Amino acid sequence: MNREELIDALKPIIAPYTTNDDAFGKLSENTDFIHDLQINSANLVDIVLDIEEKFDIVIDNPDMERMLNVKAAIDIIESKLQMK
Amino acid sequence: MIGNDVIDLVQSRKDSNWRRRGFIPKLFGADEQLLIANSPDPETTLWLLWSMKEAAYKAWNRETKIRKYMPKKLVCTISRQSVSNACGRVVCEGKIYYTETILAPDFIHSIAVSVFSHLDYVIEIEKNEIVKDHFGIPYVAVEGGTELFAASVSNHGRFEKVVAISRI
Repeated sequence: MNREELIDALKPIIAPYTTNDDAFGKLSENTDFIHDLQINSANLVDIVLDIEEKFDIVIDNPDMERMLNVKAAIDIIESKLQMK
Repeated sequence: MIGNDVIDLVQSRKDSNWRRRGFIPKLFGADEQLLIANSPDPETTLWLLWSMKEAAYKAWNRETKIRKYMPKKLVCTISRQSVSNACGRVVCEGKIYYTETILAPDFIHSIAVSVFSHLDYVIEIEKNEIVKDHFGIPYVAVEGGTELFAASVSNHGRFEKVVAISRI
């Protein structure tokens, strides 16, 4: 999967936790989960868990620390998929 | 340094399935997981610990200007707890934050400060008194804006809590 395909795969994961539909409509790599999509920090872990399940990867603590925006999420998924 | 975090317990039941596999281990360290598992009211204990972490993170972020999603690096200890409140501390990368939490029937509100005695000077204020610096960090302006005191804002569901240290 290239980065655009990864963003498309991420959208249905992010959508249920998003409270700003406007920002979700304009979603790009630069979108910040908390500042732009206004996702509750207690729900960021749900996104991490959903990504783990969907892509069958394990996101460890150092990776989770960076998981604040779409770009970081894509970077992490890409690197984990390459290691498979 | 100050930070606060409010959790609307009706909203959290809608937003979070904390019983889902992996949820607790990703957010809480071994000692915290034991506190939750052994609690007569695991839901309250979980959100108490989470609000302590969030409040301390805001104080830490205020100081360091660093953003990270690092719940397990915020290590909580509860020193005293009753049905209506709790006191404790949170250690984050060598820094210590002292916390006080109100446990109400429908919300949990934690306040974290970096200096223990400042807990005595924390007051709840109105949102319209808040000004923000270019990092987005909130202050309350007093004396016609000539003096700024550290403040913190938290919203969740039906609740908004704005706190400040009234004097240092």
